[in-house]
Amino acid sequence: MKNAYVLAGVVASVAFATPALADDHLTLEGRTIGVAVVGTQHFWDREAFNGAVDTVEALGGTVRAVDGGRDNQVHADNHDILRAAGVDAVISILGDGAVEPKFEALRAADIPVFTVDHPSPHSINNTTSDNYYMGTTIGRLMADALEGEGKVAVFNAFENALRICAIRTQLWKYVLQDYPGIEILEPELAEEFANAPEDARRQTLDLLSQYPEGELDAIHVGCWDQPAIGVVQALEETGRDDDVIVTALDAGPDTLEIMAEEGSPFVANVAQQPRLIGTISAQNVARHFAGETLLSQTYVDVMPVDGRDGAIETYGELGYGSLE
Amino acid sequence: MSATIPPRRRALEQLVGFAPVLIFAGMLVHIGIQAPGFVSLLTLGLVLEQSLPVVLVCIGMSIVVMAGGEDVVAGGIDLSIPATTVLAAGILAQWLAADGGFVMACLLALGAALLVGATNAALVAWIGLTPLLASLAMFGAVVGVNNMVTASRRINVDHPIILWLRDAEIAGIAVGILCVAAFGLAAYHLLHRTRFGLHLQAGGGSVEAAEMVGLSARRHLAIAFLLAALTGFIAGFFVLARGSGSSPGVEDNLMLEMVLATYLGAAFSPRRVVTLWGAVLGALLVGAITIGFKSMGVNVFWLGLIKGALILTVVAFAALAKRGRA
Repeated sequence: MKNAYVLAGVVASVAFATPALADDHLTLEGRTIGVAVVGTQHFWDREAFNGAVDTVEALGGTVRAVDGGRDNQVHADNHDILRAAGVDAVISILGDGAVEPKFEALRAADIPVFTVDHPSPHSINNTTSDNYYMGTTIGRLMADALEGEGKVAVFNAFENALRICAIRTQLWKYVLQDYPGIEILEPELAEEFANAPEDARRQTLDLLSQYPEGELDAIHVGCWDQPAIGVVQALEETGRDDDVIVTALDAGPDTLEIMAEEGSPFVANVAQQPRLIGTISAQNVARHFAGETLLSQTYVDVMPVDGRDGAIETYGELGYGSLE
Repeated sequence: MSATIPPRRRALEQLVGFAPVLIFAGMLVHIGIQAPGFVSLLTLGLVLEQSLPVVLVCIGMSIVVMAGGEDVVAGGIDLSIPATTVLAAGILAQWLAADGGFVMACLLALGAALLVGATNAALVAWIGLTPLLASLAMFGAVVGVNNMVTASRRINVDHPIILWLRDAEIAGIAVGILCVAAFGLAAYHLLHRTRFGLHLQAGGGSVEAAEMVGLSARRHLAIAFLLAALTGFIAGFFVLARGSGSSPGVEDNLMLEMVLATYLGAAFSPRRVVTLWGAVLGALLVGAITIGFKSMGVNVFWLGLIKGALILTVVAFAALAKRGRA
C-alpha cells in the first residue's frame, strides 16, 4: 500500500504537474461563482482565496464569497448558502469531511463543485500542491538534518480527517522507515485548527518538560506550518532551540522569515504556491464551462526549502520580497 | 401600580421592550432587499435545519433561566450546555467509529452529559457558586475532556441513524426539524402544563416566595441543570448529523448564538422575560440573520462583531425594560 503512495507520487508529479495556463479563450462572463473558504486568517487560505476570487473576476465572472472563519462546520454550512443563492459553480477551499454531504447536495442541484486541497468524489476537479512530493521531500530533509538519528515528536491532528494530510504525513513516515536510527515518539500530538500557534506553543512546553535535553531531537508538523510558529517560540523560551530542530510544510512568508533568522531551529520546509492554486482552480471552472474535459486532480509545483539559505532564496523566488 | 404610569412613559417602556425585535426585523428587511433570493422557502428550510442545535441548547438554557431567575450573573444561567453538546457528540462519534454499538454509545454520552448537569447542580444549588462562573468554568473543563476523548481530531460518522437524522424527510419536511419540534412541544408541556413546571418557574420568579409556600427552589434549580444537560445530550446528535461527524471547535459559535438567542427571545414575551418559545424564536432569528448576512457577503469577522454587539444591545435593553418595570 505504501509503495502505491510512492508510485502515485512519482506519476502525479511527473505527469500532472500543471503550470498556470494562459488560455485567452477562457471566460466566466455572466456567471456567478461561489467561493467558499475555510478561513482567511492564515496566509495560505487567504492567498488561495484571493487567487480564485481575482481570477473569477478577471475572467468576467461575479464572485459570491463565504468565509468559514476557520471553523470547519461553519465552512460546510456556507455551501448551503451558495446553493440557496443559485450560483453557477462552487470553488471550495479546504474543509474536512463535513463538506461532503454539502457537495452532494450541490451536485444534486446541478451546481458543479471544484475543490482546492480537498479530493472528493463529488468534485469535478481538485487543484492542489504535489502532496506526494511534499511528504517525501520533508522526510528526506529532516533525516539529513538529523544525520539519520534522533527522536522526533510529530503534530498530526489531521491525518485521518484530511486526505492531503494523510498523503503528506504517511509519505514522511514512509521515508523515515529507511532511517532506523530515527524514532517517532508516541503518542503523536494533535494541534488545534483555529488557534494553532498558541496551542502548539503550550503543547511544546509540556513536551519539553517531558523530554529533557538530549531526549528529543526534532519536532515535525505533519501537514502545515502555522503550529511550527508556536513550536519555535517554545524552544526559544526554554533555550532548547540549539538541540531540537523543527520541520513543517507550507512555507508562507511568515514561516520563511522565521527560518531565515540566524540560528533558527526551523530548518526545513516545502513551499507551496497557494495563490497559483486558487488561480488555476478558477481557470479550471472556466475550462469546464468551455466544454473541456478536466483531470480529476491538477497538481501545482512545490519548492523544497532547506535551511536558512533556502528560506532566503525561496522568499525571493516566490515574490515575497528580500530577506538578504 | 401600572395605572399610575403616564401613557407616554408606558409607550416608551413598550418601545424599549420591543427594541431588540425591531432591530432584528429591520435587519431582516435590509437583508431581504440586499440579498436577492434570501426570502425563499429554500432559505427558510436552511435556517430551520442549521438552527436545530442552537434551538435545542436554547431550550436547555431557558429552562435554567426560568428556574434560577433572570439575573444574568446570579440568576439561572448555564453556559456549559454547548460544551455538553460537543462532549456528547464526541463520545457518540468515538464510540460509533469504533463500531461499539449505537445503544451503548447513547448510554455513555447520556451518562457523561448528566454527570456535567449533576456537577453544575451541586456547584450552584448546594455549594452556592455563582451560576455564571460555575457554568463558564464547567464549559472550559468539559471542552478539555472532549478534546481528550476525541484527541482534538475530526471523527467522521456514517451511522445509519445519524444519516437518517441528517437526510430523511417526512411529508417533505426534514426529520430533524420534526424531531426538534416534538421535543420543543414536550418541553413546553413539561414547563407550562404540569405542576412540576409551574413549581420550577415559581422558584425562578422569587426564591423566598416559593420557599414560603413549601417549594424547594434549590431542588428545582438542580433539576433544571439536569434537564439542560439532557438537551445538550440531544443536541449532540444534531451536531453530528449536521457535520456528518464531530469536528473540534463547534462549541464556541454554539455558545455565542445560545446566549444571544435566549436573551433576544425575552423580547417576544409580554413581560420581557426569558421563555421557551421566545428562546426558540430567538434561535431561528439568529440563524436567519447569520445566513442573511452571509448571503449579503458580509465578512465572517464582522459577523462575530455584529453578534457580540447584538448580545450587548439585547441585554442592555432587557436591563432598561426591567428598570422601567421596577
